[in-house]
Amino acid sequence: MTGGGRRPLQGRKLGDKRVRVERPHAAYFRWSGEGRLTAKATVGKPTTATGRVLARVKTALIGTALSTDAEMGERLSKRKALAIFSSDAISSSAYATEEILRVLILGGAAALVLGLQVSILIAVLLITVAISYRQICIAYPTGGGSYSVSQRNFGRGASLIAASALLIDYVLTVAVSTSSAVEQITSAAPMLYDVRVEIGVAAIALITVANLRGIREAGNIFAVPTYLFIVSALLMIGVGVVRIVFLGEGQSYPAQIGEQAGETLQNVGLLLLVRAFAAGAVALTGTEAIATGVPAFKRPEAKNAATTLAVMAALLGVLFIGITFLAVNFGITHIDLPEKQTVISQVARRVYGDGSIPFFLFQAFTATLLFLAANTSFNAFPRLLAILAHDGFMPRQFALRGDRLAFSYGIVALAAVAASLIVAFGGETHLLIPLYAVGVFIDFTISQSGMIRHWRRERPAGWRRRLAINAFGAILTGIVAVVVTAAKAPASLLVLILIPLLVLLMSSIRRQYDGQAEELKVRDDMVFTGPHREQRVVIPVNGINRAVIQAVNFARPLAKDVRAVYVTEDPEDGDRLRERWERQLPDISLVIVESPYRAVISPVIAYLDVLDQAWPEGREAPITIVVLPEYVARHWWDRVLYNQTAKRLQAALVGREHTVIADVPYRRDH
Amino acid sequence: MLETQTPSFRRAVVALNGGRSDARITRIACELARANRAELVAVHVVEVSWSQPLDADIAGHSDEAQRVLDSAEEIAEESKVIIEPVLLQARDAGPALVDEALERDADLLILGLPYRKKFGGEFVIGRTIPYVLKNAPCAVWVVREPIPEGAS
Repeated sequence: MTGGGRRPLQGRKLGDKRVRVERPHAAYFRWSGEGRLTAKATVGKPTTATGRVLARVKTALIGTALSTDAEMGERLSKRKALAIFSSDAISSSAYATEEILRVLILGGAAALVLGLQVSILIAVLLITVAISYRQICIAYPTGGGSYSVSQRNFGRGASLIAASALLIDYVLTVAVSTSSAVEQITSAAPMLYDVRVEIGVAAIALITVANLRGIREAGNIFAVPTYLFIVSALLMIGVGVVRIVFLGEGQSYPAQIGEQAGETLQNVGLLLLVRAFAAGAVALTGTEAIATGVPAFKRPEAKNAATTLAVMAALLGVLFIGITFLAVNFGITHIDLPEKQTVISQVARRVYGDGSIPFFLFQAFTATLLFLAANTSFNAFPRLLAILAHDGFMPRQFALRGDRLAFSYGIVALAAVAASLIVAFGGETHLLIPLYAVGVFIDFTISQSGMIRHWRRERPAGWRRRLAINAFGAILTGIVAVVVTAAKAPASLLVLILIPLLVLLMSSIRRQYDGQAEELKVRDDMVFTGPHREQRVVIPVNGINRAVIQAVNFARPLAKDVRAVYVTEDPEDGDRLRERWERQLPDISLVIVESPYRAVISPVIAYLDVLDQAWPEGREAPITIVVLPEYVARHWWDRVLYNQTAKRLQAALVGREHTVIADVPYRRDH
Repeated sequence: MLETQTPSFRRAVVALNGGRSDARITRIACELARANRAELVAVHVVEVSWSQPLDADIAGHSDEAQRVLDSAEEIAEESKVIIEPVLLQARDAGPALVDEALERDADLLILGLPYRKKFGGEFVIGRTIPYVLKNAPCAVWVVREPIPEGAS
């Protein structure tokens, strides 16, 4: 600790003197142990006016910076986590029933009544997947979900496939859910159709800002709409069930309903049921998000995550089966003409009454929740990227937390990719949907298969039962993965191309990092006492001035061999400088390089090459320190007037072997 | 008339002696300062023996002195209150604290008192607190730590 100045002060009484001791470190650092300082928030405070304005804008948008110690405070309670991580899964209940009925209608009224059975089978799959992910939360509490499972049980290849599949799906979830939410808006207000892309991008920007404010605050923002939907949907199911079961208000599908399918009626065969099952299984997307984000939970993280996952699965199951039960028993299926009416809106209209306030409220809650489904990805995607970055498969920046402890780089990357997709596809959801949900089922299958290996290896009590559950789940999700990919082909095949490309990208990033680590590695049993290579200094100068003198003075102690190089096109000019140089800097040798072709940079480089070539063979090459005198402009606008040659020289020297570039700035107030 | 409200203050000097009561009085001061929107000054006095000049380079190099003030600042930051740390060297802590409080126009001086007993069982109050109680023109609060179990 460096002692500061001391100021003597006189007290009230003559003998009462005291000395105030200045603490120079106190403004920026806090003492935190022997030889250890902790930087305060003031360290990062901008010093320029522009910087201060930008910082103020940033604070207004995302809030004040939080210290790493506040991380525990940013953790999620189960209640908030359910809202944050489940909006995707729960929102699926708003359209999963419709997805099933859209397929079953091809088999006519007889097939439509099977909707309930299909939804129950999907709920069984949901329970299987949820149990599997609960086990993953507990067995792999560091997060990462299927990536961690497959890495531990299958190795790098499978884990990167799982990660790639998930990353693709998270991006698509944002793009699809935002586009579909915008579609809801534009169907209500058709005049906004032309600006749908702008609305979509603005919506993504809003969710991005909310997430950059930190996960806890995002939880506060997103919890209310999620719970409003859950409560109103449960109420709708309760009222609907009473009216069907006890008041006998149910009705069956009219026999001619299949005619609206627009396709040739099919027999209620296994293939139709499998297709309906695969279509409805979309409801499961988002189930894996909690397992990815286990470390975001309050302690005990794994237990809380597992509980939240169970609650989410139970809610999703009840909502999904409930809504399908009401749809089938009220004889409801989707209507496309004369105007589009979703299944859930018809169910709500039937239960709450057409045009009633509860009906409109429910519709508003549903639309908001669909919009927020993107938010789950905004939490899971950056976390997965952070884990991948930590393992060296993604650039390291993705593992860094921003001012509010959120993984800002990942959040911004997701927003950028999803927004680009919306722009590229013109905000048309149906163009994106074929790509959606393919990756997540590949991921489910890999993770459940990984858990089979996990149980075979660990063999805790009851492992056979757990293995059986995972095996059952792996088979079912595997079938769905194949059916979903086949049903959505050829567009879905794009995902199958993207996955290996991403795997390749991640592997090459890892190879790059591994290569760099190998290059930089030093043996830990070595003691490094000092440099053993010779050093020499070359100072490109433009004459004799304060900046040059300062650079020369800086260079003197660095090496015995210090020489200045002056490039000129005019020999007389060179002579004049030499005369002055020998008078004013007699101990530093000056090399004048005449450049009749007026080049400035290349003669300096060529001179350095010559120096290298002149070095005796057999001796280790010296380190050449190129000291660049630099004049620091007072204002940003006059920077363009100075140092342009130095900058070009610097650019030419970067990466040169055995060469160190040292900028010696000269400021006017020196 | 009896005052039932928490007494308010504008600016308080919190005297820190590096002991275990520092954290307690800093927390109390921060809570009250936040409620009153008052300013806080944390003062740590390093007593210099007569064998050395008063302005000898002692406190600036003392990790312990930095720890005392930085710990107080950390507590203040947690409570979202700004505390100004002041490091003093003096022959005697009492007059230095009173003079600092006077110079800063403080209307409250808060001191902590650990529960200690002399050999023989007599409670020890030290010399700083009696001096401050006698000489400080502002209000003085002395916060004594609870009697440790088995000490009474």
